[in-house]
Amino acid sequence: MPNSENLSPFIAEFNGVSLRYNKGPEILKDINFSLSPGSFHFMTGESGAGKTSLLSLLYLHLEPTKGRVRLLGQAIDTMSRSAKAQVRRQIGVVFQDYHLLNHLNAFDNVALPLRLAGEKEAEIKKHVAELLTWVGLEKQMKSYPEELSGGEQQRIAIARAVIHKPTLLLADEPTGNVDDAMAKRLMYLFLELNKLGTTVVVATHNVGLVRNFHFPQLHLADGHLKIIPPAESYSEMANKLFKREEK
Amino acid sequence: MAKQSDFLFNKESSRFFLPWICALMVFIATLVLAGGIATHNSLKLWQKSVAESLTVQIPTYNEDGKSREELVYRDIENALMLLRTTPGVLGAIVLNDDQMQDLMTPWLGADAVVSQLPLPKLIDVSVDASHPPMLEQLKADLAAAVPDAILDSHRIWLGDLVRFANALLTLIGIILILLFITVAITVVYTTNASLSIQEYILSLVHMLGAQDLFITNRYAWHNFKVALSGSLIGFVLALPVMLGVSMFLKSVSGQILQSSLMPTQWLYLALVPICVAILTFLTTFRTVWKFLRRFL
Repeated sequence: MPNSENLSPFIAEFNGVSLRYNKGPEILKDINFSLSPGSFHFMTGESGAGKTSLLSLLYLHLEPTKGRVRLLGQAIDTMSRSAKAQVRRQIGVVFQDYHLLNHLNAFDNVALPLRLAGEKEAEIKKHVAELLTWVGLEKQMKSYPEELSGGEQQRIAIARAVIHKPTLLLADEPTGNVDDAMAKRLMYLFLELNKLGTTVVVATHNVGLVRNFHFPQLHLADGHLKIIPPAESYSEMANKLFKREEK
Repeated sequence: MAKQSDFLFNKESSRFFLPWICALMVFIATLVLAGGIATHNSLKLWQKSVAESLTVQIPTYNEDGKSREELVYRDIENALMLLRTTPGVLGAIVLNDDQMQDLMTPWLGADAVVSQLPLPKLIDVSVDASHPPMLEQLKADLAAAVPDAILDSHRIWLGDLVRFANALLTLIGIILILLFITVAITVVYTTNASLSIQEYILSLVHMLGAQDLFITNRYAWHNFKVALSGSLIGFVLALPVMLGVSMFLKSVSGQILQSSLMPTQWLYLALVPICVAILTFLTTFRTVWKFLRRFL
């Protein structure tokens, strides 16, 4: 049973979180934010700003060197290994480099979270086939990752992240290798999940996406996090970028 | 589509090493254990023969080489009379030429003509193992009745043999322990090599929420099956070798070595591959469990 002091109404809550790798400089500095259930955020920032590191903290791949992280209501520093595994099962992650298993075909890669959750094979077959059809890969179900293009692999990675309808979906550059039409289609998939209650964080460089979908941004710069509200987000970012280039 | 249990295991060479190591170890362990059991059986047989029999030798020639033919039969009669009236003696019979021939064959070969050799006449004395005769008293009585007779309780030469057999059994025990340690070390090595190669898969499955116990169990059962299949191959290959060695020992040692095994002892041998597979399961479990601790 989690300690009542550790409970949080947020899906994720960061208090004074800092992160450094070994004895290197701090990648993330004094990060404070929370994600409400059913919220949708973009995560923005230049390359190397710490987006992937922040996502790694959110899917329990890393622990902060300072501060406290609460996920799905529980503080991770007091969680047992078994509880951490249970929390991870409620998180869907789209990795920047897809993280597909090359010895499994598209179907089995997507089925992985369901198999780990102990779903029945008949259910798995039905849901995986439906989702792969939705992302336009019904003909590639038996293909192995090495036989697929970058865009197709990305769609498999996305399908795997959402197949179990996670409570929290984290996507690291999920539209980086697909054309605009497919990028929109995938964003609508995330929106559909969001409507069903999934909290979504999409890390992206794609300003078009941020502009078209008006969600708040978790903007990282120099290791610090700033939350940019949706209405002003794009113009403010553009101004800052412009000013920086002028300097 | 892949079977549910397949997703943790990519094909990689280190895992092919394990069944063959297990086959080799079980092959050696089965032969060593069979040797140990045969030694144990022989030891029991020797100890039984010490407890249940005596031999009385009546020399057929004097120390100066002259025949005692006219005295031998009288000495045998006297010795038999004494032995058959001694408490604790169940029976006494004189070995005939055929029995002497059988007895000497392992040393002299089947072609030796025993009747032409200056061998003593032997009286095989059966003893009640629970109430054996007083040996010192019997020796004194025999010396009085038949001064040239020699009472042989087999204890001296069999005592050395028993000590040798016990040392051999200890050595066999040590060899078996070393073999099992080798199996455990090999399993740790191959499992660690396999885990390092598969770290990417394990890391991903861990990130997707797999419990440590789930991953560890899958690995341990997988290695158990691999080890068991290899071990059974080793066991099956050891059987004809064992039979061959047993037949060879029978032909050269006659009754001295008890190389044939009892049904329960075959069962002990059959436990060798199972023990190796169980050892592999436990070692793999511990290794994987420890490895997973590197993930948060």
